[in-house]
Amino acid sequence: MDMIASLLRKPASAAVLSLIGVIAFYVLVGGVDLGKMMGAASWVNYAARIGIVAIPIGLLMISGEIDISIGAMIPAGAMTTAIISGHYELPMIFGILGALAIGVIVGTVNGVLAVRTTVPTLIITLATLVAMQGIVLAGSKLLTGSASVPLNAPDWAKTLFGHLLFGGSHQVIIVWWVIFAAVFWFIMHKTKYGNWIFAMGGDKDSARNAGIPVDRLTVLLYILTATSAAFVGMCHATLFNSAQVSGGMNDIFNIIVSVVVGGVLLTGGYGSVAGVFVGTLTFAIVNKGIDFTAIDRNWSNLIIGLMLLFAVALNEFFRRAALSYAPKRKTAETVLKPRVKEA
Amino acid sequence: MSTQTQTRGKGFSPGQLVRRPETGSLIGFVVVYVFFAVLGGPVFLGAPGWSSWLNIAAEVGIIALPVGLLMIAGEFDISVGSVVPASAMMTAMLSGHYDLPAFVGIAGGLGVGLLVGLVNGLLVTRTTIPSLIVTIGVMFAVMGLTLGFAVLIRGSTSVSYVPDPLTKALLGQFINGMFNVSILWWMGFVAVFFFFLHVSPLGNWTYAIGGDRESARNAGIPTSQVTIGLFMASGFAAAFVGVAQVMTYQTAQVAGGQAFIFNSIMCVVIGGVVLTGGAGSILGIVLGTMTFAVVNQGIFFASLDPNIGSIIIGALLLTAVLSNDTFRALATSAATKKKAG
Repeated sequence: MDMIASLLRKPASAAVLSLIGVIAFYVLVGGVDLGKMMGAASWVNYAARIGIVAIPIGLLMISGEIDISIGAMIPAGAMTTAIISGHYELPMIFGILGALAIGVIVGTVNGVLAVRTTVPTLIITLATLVAMQGIVLAGSKLLTGSASVPLNAPDWAKTLFGHLLFGGSHQVIIVWWVIFAAVFWFIMHKTKYGNWIFAMGGDKDSARNAGIPVDRLTVLLYILTATSAAFVGMCHATLFNSAQVSGGMNDIFNIIVSVVVGGVLLTGGYGSVAGVFVGTLTFAIVNKGIDFTAIDRNWSNLIIGLMLLFAVALNEFFRRAALSYAPKRKTAETVLKPRVKEA
Repeated sequence: MSTQTQTRGKGFSPGQLVRRPETGSLIGFVVVYVFFAVLGGPVFLGAPGWSSWLNIAAEVGIIALPVGLLMIAGEFDISVGSVVPASAMMTAMLSGHYDLPAFVGIAGGLGVGLLVGLVNGLLVTRTTIPSLIVTIGVMFAVMGLTLGFAVLIRGSTSVSYVPDPLTKALLGQFINGMFNVSILWWMGFVAVFFFFLHVSPLGNWTYAIGGDRESARNAGIPTSQVTIGLFMASGFAAAFVGVAQVMTYQTAQVAGGQAFIFNSIMCVVIGGVVLTGGAGSILGIVLGTMTFAVVNQGIFFASLDPNIGSIIIGALLLTAVLSNDTFRALATSAATKKKAG
């Protein structure tokens, strides 16, 4: 019983319950063929696409900030790769580096503005989102004359970033997602940097007073989110042999929903990489798995909305349980701020 | 806010004028308008130019007003992006598909907005979930319901409706073939919200809630009711725009409306409302909306690449928030000096 209780107090528990709930719903109401859905690639590919960005966004949110400019960075990464290596026919490595460089630049701008001004980061990244959308579109029209650029990636790049695994329809980006998740899990839960990020989200001033380089870490997190989004765009350009300028507005909300379903607190200080991973899986199954059920695809947004509200309510409930549980064992001291380090 | 209005009444002082929150928005609007007037020439300065940006301003502006009020109270409403198509669909469904009288369709459409606002408000006030997350969830749910029911009932994602002449004249007519009647409605909304925020006691309550919710509640302000009311106002305004769109374009689409989410937030922020609540004004929101609309439409008259428009808007947004920071610092430091002396 104690073990179950301690499991439930982990930030990922609500995400796991949501995942089970969604699958149960699809089995009971949708009559889904589980074997067929589990073998299908569509939802795993989709999960990897948003998952690679969702993990750094989750870290950023744990540190108490938000980044919505990622919506423009995915097409920006794709476009940069295609323009450099497709339109100008430079070696592929320049295209890849160019895409990552765009991510580093935009991330630095976001981060520096976030630490130097008192403007909320939602507004800063809204501004860079809109500006980047314009820059990408205007830039591609100016340089190539069209909004869609073809790209013929060499074999090694295809193998690394844009191949299909085992000759099937699973994309190699899934492997990257798992690697990203493992690396970030290690950083977040096994090194001091993870503790620093939790501390920043809990109370930024105290974290700074404790000697944590809050500003540098914030800029670094912004660079991570923007660069990972550019990375996803680059992988897609390599896979599909072309880059289009698309909105990317949907990605913003989809990624935020995945992170929040994964148990990360929007106001910072609470969450886990495992939770974000499961949250992304849940979101992808709702969004793409619905094709394997008897439920009409048009209802998927309704399910996502209800699942989000349900998962967040569940998260709140568990978090409160976790917080009220701790003082009882110690003294009657009231703990207001969550100081949770997830392992 | 009330103190500001009082001091302004006593006399004119350039220092006070600079410290008013709208000054930055006004400067921004003038700069942007002059810029596009120079590039766009007489066509932009004439009726075609004015009508094109005023039409855009009216649509976004009606939604930006309550969104701005919510932001002053420290809350967000993302769900407006799904209420616009949902209410348009409801109106077209009732009056177009089921051939009910126009007022039933309009009432149904506006009802959708009020209902969504009520749900938002209840969820925000009854739970500890941040309003950004609540309204994202509600947005997805409303989007799903709109699409699901449209396909279920109609079998398609768009429904057409031809309104009778009176309804059309009231809600979807182009005056002189150029100016949409919704510009007049926008002015009406501005007047109502101006009264609400700057004249009635409810306005002060809204500022107090945004400043410090706990203290506001302890001071006896019914914070939950005010918050729910504000969410219903933003649902209503978004629904109104949806209904007006049906009357203007005679068709309702399932998609679309997503642009209103960020556009309304941008208008409000360019207009000097502070995202974390507690500061802002109706005049500022109106100026912010006009600035946004001038950039949005002026770009076509200036024969520039339309995509440069979004670069300008992004830059404008940053300049606006950064200068608001400076103006606010000026205002607060000036106040302390007076007290100390």
